[in-house]
Amino acid sequence: MTYHHTPTTRAVLDSLVPVICPPEAVPYRDAIVADMALQFEVVPPIVQRALGLGFVTYDLGALPRYFKRARALQGDQAEAYFHSWEEGFTPLHVQFARVINQLMSLSCYEQPAMMERVGYRPAAWIEKVTKKRLTVFADDVRKQDAQILAPDPLRPAMKKEVA
Amino acid sequence: MATAALHEGGSRPSNVFTRHDLKGDTVLDCDVVIVGSGAGGAPVAAELAEAGYDVIVLEEGSYYQTRDFTANTSQMVRQLYRDGGASIAIGNPPIMFQEGRAVGGSTVINGGMSWRTPENILARWRDEAGLDDLTAHSLEPYFERVEKRIHVAPMDHDAIGRDNWLLKKGADAKGWETLGNLRNQAHCVGSNRCAFGCPTGAKQSALVSYIPRALHFGARVYADVSVQRITMHGKRATGVIGSVRTDDGAKHEIVVRAKLVVSSCGAIQTPALLARSGLTSRSGMLGQNLSLHPNVKVVALFDEDVSGWQGAHQAFQVREFADEGLGCFAAVNLPASIVAMSVPHRGKQLGQFMDQYNQMVVAGLLCEDTTTGHVKVINGRPQAFYNLAEHDAHNIQRGLVLLAELLFAAGAKRLLLPFHHAQELTSADEAHRVLSAPIPTKGWEVVTVHMMGTAKMGSDRTTAVTDGYGFMHDVDRLLISDASVFPSPCRVNPMETIMALATRSAGHIIDNARRYLG
Repeated sequence: MTYHHTPTTRAVLDSLVPVICPPEAVPYRDAIVADMALQFEVVPPIVQRALGLGFVTYDLGALPRYFKRARALQGDQAEAYFHSWEEGFTPLHVQFARVINQLMSLSCYEQPAMMERVGYRPAAWIEKVTKKRLTVFADDVRKQDAQILAPDPLRPAMKKEVA
Repeated sequence: MATAALHEGGSRPSNVFTRHDLKGDTVLDCDVVIVGSGAGGAPVAAELAEAGYDVIVLEEGSYYQTRDFTANTSQMVRQLYRDGGASIAIGNPPIMFQEGRAVGGSTVINGGMSWRTPENILARWRDEAGLDDLTAHSLEPYFERVEKRIHVAPMDHDAIGRDNWLLKKGADAKGWETLGNLRNQAHCVGSNRCAFGCPTGAKQSALVSYIPRALHFGARVYADVSVQRITMHGKRATGVIGSVRTDDGAKHEIVVRAKLVVSSCGAIQTPALLARSGLTSRSGMLGQNLSLHPNVKVVALFDEDVSGWQGAHQAFQVREFADEGLGCFAAVNLPASIVAMSVPHRGKQLGQFMDQYNQMVVAGLLCEDTTTGHVKVINGRPQAFYNLAEHDAHNIQRGLVLLAELLFAAGAKRLLLPFHHAQELTSADEAHRVLSAPIPTKGWEVVTVHMMGTAKMGSDRTTAVTDGYGFMHDVDRLLISDASVFPSPCRVNPMETIMALATRSAGHIIDNARRYLG
């Protein structure tokens, strides 16, 4: 099943990008939120539902204090509201804030520009060392491949005898 | 040749079937059906296929080849990990655990550490579970065979990254015992992507070792198949019923009829499969006795360039305190995105912290736990429950002090601890001071990849779920071959123990073919 953010989830996540991600990641807001959808797609359905409920609660929970939904909060207000969840009215608030922080941070540093910024370039490195393995160690690699398929019965001459 | 195809990306072997091949309900017959294709299932499949038996392996995850393993971390996690890596054992603290879900099982996503079961653990299993046959001597031929098959070897010197050398430098400065790690690798070149599918083909996971061997000797592998239950005739297991969901959303049933059923789904899924099948153990221990090897990580910041992602994963293990319940310390470089999600920072602070990514050493410690949790089945799905014992929390806290000493001795300037609201440390003295105070367990960030013990072996059917070979007491022709059968935590990385026990079980089946396959 393909997962899509609900409008509420999407709006709340959009509003949280400047709160959770570093300022230099904010231009990648759409890509970060889209990457999170891919993460949500593979979590168990019960967790998906819990997250959905969490976003609605988070969104509406800002009303009594700010007279607007969380999705509309900006700057210091957005920061203070998220912080109030981190500190938590209940353990569930704390857990929700922690999970969203974790998942958004993950998606943030999955963005190529953010990886480049911190000097993490795994694709080029993988290409380089793979080439090295298949050239410098070609003979040993072939030997291991052959060993994997070579006959070597666990028990001598115990070919299937049972009818 | 099949392995070349697996390594370099040829076509899918003809006896690997996926959701794309299964167009309707299917009934299959075979001698042995194995549920799970990882460290427990794949060796049994290869040994029995080579002995001439008709073997079918069912795997819930998909079939990938080495060429499919890329630098896209979150995509790899989604493809290769159950629940996207977000499985959680409920308790104090909640413990995140990871299970592989792909052909090759967790061997596709593990670090490849390959250690024999320590003799004192085997002694404990003999004493406490009556497993008198489990000695280092009796297991020697099985360990040897496994080590040959998956190419267990020390690391090539030039594949070891700076983070690991710094760990060793710190241990040497402290005078602590450090071992060069043994891993199932054939010329690992240090891509440091073990946990996301080895993209170079160097790690000899079941995907590129036992599974190709099983296929070569005629086994069939069905990927994307979720097994609901084991079928029974009286007390005898007769096969399994599962299903496959195709890309268009259609669900087809797969029935496999077999003379012998093997459950190799791991310590979380195996008890769930048995429970869904209505099987119980008179010992009352099915799903109980869950141990986890809780582990925690710290991030140390150095002034120098480390770039730990350019070098092998866990090239060394510090074993100085293994006899005190602290299994090992190791450098465990993580991709930038995983580091970012592992720290409590956010916003500008996260950015400033992550800008130092290439100066980081991520180091972890593994604790041999003294308590147990359990697995319950809720709506057909397993849920793990586990509370970290006070004693183990205390031991981890002590381990963190020692790890901090090591890292500062190696030249670390700052250290981030694995719990919320923890201050950054700037010296070993500060680590002693901060970590001498009790830290509430609920604040700990604990993870694990070693789940064990939920269908434990033992000679006494009133206290154990399976016999000394992993056959379930009170059920005929049902073998459990995974870490479920461990009577207690094995102290070291469990893969080689699982594989050796699986090989031993396969030999027992061949030796007693009339009993199990007649």
